[in-house]
Amino acid sequence: MADDNITMIKVRDVLMVTMPADPDDATVSALQEKVLVTMQQSEAAGVILDISAVETLDSFFARTIAETAQMVALMGGRTVIAGMRPSVAITTTQLGLTLGGAMTALDVDRALDMLNHTHQRGQV
Amino acid sequence: MDTYVQSATVTMTEWEQRKRFVGFTDEDAQLLKELGPVADMYVDEVVEGLYRQFLSFDKTRAFFPDEATLRRVKKLQKAYFLQLTQGDYGEAYLVHRLHIGQVHQQIGLEPRWYMGAYSLYMQLAFPHVIAAFSHDAAKGQRVFLALLKIITLDKELAITTYIAASEAIISAQSREILEIATPVVQLWSGVVAAPLIGTLDSKRAQQFTERLLERIVEMRASVALVDITGVPMMDTRTAQYLLEAISAVRLLGAQVILTGVRPVIAQTLVHLGIDLSSVATRPSLEAGLRLGLDMLDLQVIHRDGKR
Repeated sequence: MADDNITMIKVRDVLMVTMPADPDDATVSALQEKVLVTMQQSEAAGVILDISAVETLDSFFARTIAETAQMVALMGGRTVIAGMRPSVAITTTQLGLTLGGAMTALDVDRALDMLNHTHQRGQV
Repeated sequence: MDTYVQSATVTMTEWEQRKRFVGFTDEDAQLLKELGPVADMYVDEVVEGLYRQFLSFDKTRAFFPDEATLRRVKKLQKAYFLQLTQGDYGEAYLVHRLHIGQVHQQIGLEPRWYMGAYSLYMQLAFPHVIAAFSHDAAKGQRVFLALLKIITLDKELAITTYIAASEAIISAQSREILEIATPVVQLWSGVVAAPLIGTLDSKRAQQFTERLLERIVEMRASVALVDITGVPMMDTRTAQYLLEAISAVRLLGAQVILTGVRPVIAQTLVHLGIDLSSVATRPSLEAGLRLGLDMLDLQVIHRDGKR
């Protein structure tokens, strides 16, 4: 099943989502659905999308991430993309893809720090 | 460094093409062969005349520091001139001529001098050719034109190899420059500095970004100071590469502070309409570090309590 390889755990008030290595379009679509439903059910304050296993990020995936972050924001939460690989970061910028309003973090640890921070640190 | 030994390969097809373009025909080859015995007679005089000219010019005299060198070169020159009239202008001739430009490039003799030498040869040979065919002026003209054509072909080959030899050196140097990578250093826990030195082309930009991102992951940095003090000039493309690098760093959750923005660079960036409003910039690495530490909620305090 497509969304079986997306793992989702709730840690305190953060929704931790781990993406598999090479998500197909169906998996990526399922991601958005799953996140939003769980957000509603759990009233999480934030979502951490761990993409440390992802080797390629295409425009569909990027767009889905950006949209999901916007939707999460509308539901009162913040999204952090964690663990992007250097090669993926380079390709993403070269293709001119943006991740919308999603914040980024070096890894899940940092992402948790970001979401737990008492004062808002804006992106420079 | 023997990279310039790979001579420009002018194929036989191209050689034939060049001959056709210049209008060098089998008839010309035949005429030159007829000139052969005449050339044998005037060649010594022509060589002497040529070297008298070389020795009277500072720039060219420098290539013949002693008698032994002079004698050796005159011999080679004589052999060269005699080859012009031996009657066969195929592959062997081509290969032999291809070396000339290479040799000149190696010793540092620029094209303008040996181009001049070709002209001097023609001037010195002219009266002899005319005299030898005084019984048939029209033929004399055709012989001289044949000589002109073969000399033109020789010049072309010399220039081709000279350029190829120079280009080989340039490629080797470019490869070396690419290998000189400036290290990304950690200034503080969580703060790395990446100096950019020289001009950025697509390959260097890619290399720089890759290195920077890898180090950020490795050192778990959250602030990256990209210092452009060593970037001599800014243009749209360089700015583009910079912005791409900055975006990529952001995707890894780190913040970029662009430091070393010199007045002339600041001017250029504004004139080019580059939007850096989303990037923190500082004039020096020190100022950048200060901001970086601030971002990490760190403060440097003097022992006596002052900031």
